[in-house]
Amino acid sequence: MSAPDTYTQLAGGRVERPEREKTERLNVAQASYAYSASEQSAPTFTLGTISFQSREREIVAILGPNASGKSTLLRLIAGTIAPLSGRVELDGEETSRLDVKTRAQRIAVVHQESPIVYPALAGDFVLQGRFPYGRALRFANSDDVEISRNALAQVGAEHLSARSIGELSGGEKQRVILARALAQQPRLILLDEPTLHLDIGAQVELLERLRQLAQENRYTVVVVTHELGLAAEFADRVVLLQHGRCLRVGTPAAVYQKELLEQVFDAPLDVELGPAGRPHVNLRARRGEDIT
Amino acid sequence: MRPLTIKRMFWTCAGLCLLLLASILLALKLGAVPVSVTDLVLDLGRIAMGRANELPTEYRLIVFDLRLPRILLGILVGAALSVAGAGFQALLRNPLADPYVLGVSSGAALGSILALIIAPGVALITPLGAFLGATATIAGVYFLGRREGQLDSTTLLLGGIICASFFSAIILFLMTTLTGRDLRGMAYWLMGDLSTPVSAGMQWIFTVGLVAAIGAIYSTSADLNLLLTGEREATHLGVDVTRVKLVVYVSASLLTALAVSASGAIGYVGLLVPHAVRLIFGSDYRLLIPASALCGAIALVLADTLARTVVSPTELPVGAMTAMAGAPVFIYLLRRGWR
Amino acid sequence: MRLESTIRAATGLDVFRRLRLAAYSAGIVLLILILCGESSARQTSASSAVLAERRQITDELGRKVQVPREVDRVVSLAPNLTEIVYALGEGNHLQGDTDFCDYPAEAVRKPHVGGPVNPNMEQIVSLRPDLVLATKSINRRETVNALDRLGLPVYVTDPHSVAEMIASVEHLGGALGAEESAAVLAEDLRGRLTDLDRRLAGALPRRVLFVVWTDPLISVGRDTFIADALRRAGGRSVVATKAEWPHVSLEEIVRLQPEVLVFASAHEGDPQREIDALRKRPGWQNIKAMQDGKIVVVSDAINRPAPRMVDAIERLAHALHPEAFSALGRPASEALVSADSNSIMQEACACAR
Repeated sequence: MSAPDTYTQLAGGRVERPEREKTERLNVAQASYAYSASEQSAPTFTLGTISFQSREREIVAILGPNASGKSTLLRLIAGTIAPLSGRVELDGEETSRLDVKTRAQRIAVVHQESPIVYPALAGDFVLQGRFPYGRALRFANSDDVEISRNALAQVGAEHLSARSIGELSGGEKQRVILARALAQQPRLILLDEPTLHLDIGAQVELLERLRQLAQENRYTVVVVTHELGLAAEFADRVVLLQHGRCLRVGTPAAVYQKELLEQVFDAPLDVELGPAGRPHVNLRARRGEDIT
Repeated sequence: MRPLTIKRMFWTCAGLCLLLLASILLALKLGAVPVSVTDLVLDLGRIAMGRANELPTEYRLIVFDLRLPRILLGILVGAALSVAGAGFQALLRNPLADPYVLGVSSGAALGSILALIIAPGVALITPLGAFLGATATIAGVYFLGRREGQLDSTTLLLGGIICASFFSAIILFLMTTLTGRDLRGMAYWLMGDLSTPVSAGMQWIFTVGLVAAIGAIYSTSADLNLLLTGEREATHLGVDVTRVKLVVYVSASLLTALAVSASGAIGYVGLLVPHAVRLIFGSDYRLLIPASALCGAIALVLADTLARTVVSPTELPVGAMTAMAGAPVFIYLLRRGWR
Repeated sequence: MRLESTIRAATGLDVFRRLRLAAYSAGIVLLILILCGESSARQTSASSAVLAERRQITDELGRKVQVPREVDRVVSLAPNLTEIVYALGEGNHLQGDTDFCDYPAEAVRKPHVGGPVNPNMEQIVSLRPDLVLATKSINRRETVNALDRLGLPVYVTDPHSVAEMIASVEHLGGALGAEESAAVLAEDLRGRLTDLDRRLAGALPRRVLFVVWTDPLISVGRDTFIADALRRAGGRSVVATKAEWPHVSLEEIVRLQPEVLVFASAHEGDPQREIDALRKRPGWQNIKAMQDGKIVVVSDAINRPAPRMVDAIERLAHALHPEAFSALGRPASEALVSADSNSIMQEACACAR
């Protein structure tokens, strides 16, 4: 489906990425943030301090229950908010200090669905990913068209390019949105709960594709999720959050400790180590207890 | 559809310009006094050669002093309202947005009524008052519509609607309690009327302001395409959302203010022309803006011609015509689902 | 969506292209429309090129108006001005008037330029007037401005009382070059009013409610024509506000208990029947004048600033103070006056002289 090392091929051979096989790409160093209702009042929610690093070709899962600060951490990484203390760096540059265009060339964000008012054709939609690279009115040149088509091919959605987005199924739409992110030719891809509206097959397919793309194109992928099973199966690194605090960072096997998970997710769980070294999580129903 | 190319945009606009020319000729031709097109073209030639006084006087008066200024005003106002409508529809991410949804027309109406009350004898007080009222409303709604330092669509919409109804209430109050007979003209103005040409001094300011505002909105048209997919998404794709929203807000409001000052609140053009253009030419704003401007001009010129001729010799205000034609179109679009 | 796929299946074209085809063919149709039906109403006019000798007059708003020495073609933009033009004997010079000009009968047959509020400029221009007549109370400032811009002279009258109306007659006579007939007419009108004053001297003014509209109840303010006409006819409006058409409450009228109720006839329907219907309504029953039948219906010429207004005033004076006129043999008991017709008015005129 895609040629090896299509990364430079996508870019038409013009963009050069330095060889950074083993060094860190994403560096979150003691970053913290706080929300407050107004400038004078006390913070209603605090995040931090959080530290972790990630390299190329890695998938990082930011894991935690609702309201644990996952989305805030994502925004910090994406650079839309600046940390109150500490640093968030991509290849040595602070993400929040980048200008909007450059940031869009380095970081692509895939959000949960927002209502689309005027559904465009899938091909045009993916072409929007080329926006950070164009001049004034962004009329697409042939390179842009080529890159968009390749992006669609990489997600296996090339046949959808003439269809309107409004007509696609959840899984297909997710793939097209991912293709748009790929068309940005980023170094870092952030996904915010991408599996929320997908059925299990589509969920697995998405994560597998992400892993494959990360390998081929040397992306760093950060996925915010609360799906324990998916994170365990696909992530190289897990950042566990609860109430805005980072409880543990490490490989899934290191992070998935039964007592820790039970406390964080407030549910009875069993954790066993699978054959590939990845933990499997099983839910247990409470037996013999009244659930009031 | 293939992605939009410059070539396709150019040819579409050229075709629409031809259509506009045809509408202008039709409008010059029709009226209480019939005029033939061949004579018209010959006369234009004569005027160009400086032999204007060869034309019979009342013919010249009717065609060039009565109809032509009306047509030109219709072109400018139609273009302004359509582009403003398209801009607001993107800014508010709402297909029901029209140029008046943020209260500009009510502010303009109130401004002109107050001007008539305070200084009834001063020439041109009505358009001036309208413009001042409109700009005051723009500023007021801007400050009402801000959240966390930038314009928020929902807050803006609410602020605008509240201003519009508040001003309308004041206008009703003034019109029923005051006895000035000059206020009678307000009814026509409120409906929208192209029969009063822009005064000579204001023509340049009007045209320049119009072109500048349309140009400013057009420069953000690629950004608007992205903005419609969502503000977060647009930011992550490299759009400077705060700047774009401000530019669109100011430009679209300015276009509305200019249009309303010149001709009153002509309805439905700003709402429906962008939708009709989307239906035919697609939602890409890089084509939508120029196409809406041209189609708005065509629509208003034709509507005004109809208003002038359908119950001749009485002239209907053009706003009545756009409402009568616009409502069925609106219903059709509603049934079809705003595609 | 289904419609779209049906079309697509039927024609093989997709909807966008189809709509675009439609748009462009509409353009072609427009083009055809333009080219067909080519008839030119353009005449080479001779008269316009000749600049007749001009004189400058000042109208009642203080505007300077340039009119030709001989005013041959006149357009009137208000019904009262049309009446004045005919009363001055200049009816044959009238080239056009409004849709609402209904008196005299010949005025209805003149070419119409639309209503007074929104006349059709092109029609006015095509009638090639030497002078256009307008009045501030009915016509819009924008209309006058538009005529100015076209270079057509406009004379604007602005009378606010009966005396000013007579002055307007004289001014218009001067503008139209009919000074002698104007002087005669004005003297006649003033004479009749003086006569009326004389007859009514010493009579106590009757307290009157002039009813303009019943739902809601609207009367007249003290600065209106009607109020002035009432005063001349020996009456006094019980409503004395500054607003032109004040809404008054029925209870207030019951409290004031006017002596006479005056209605202007609408020329449609039987006033007698409408008044009978009104008599039965709550609130109206409590007005003594209603019960006693002290009701007068006058022609609506009383609100049109033209010579006929004086006729209406005289008839109203007859109705309010029959004792002042009984010496002339008119029956004193007749309180309810029916809708006017020309013959009755002329008879009344003859009596009053």
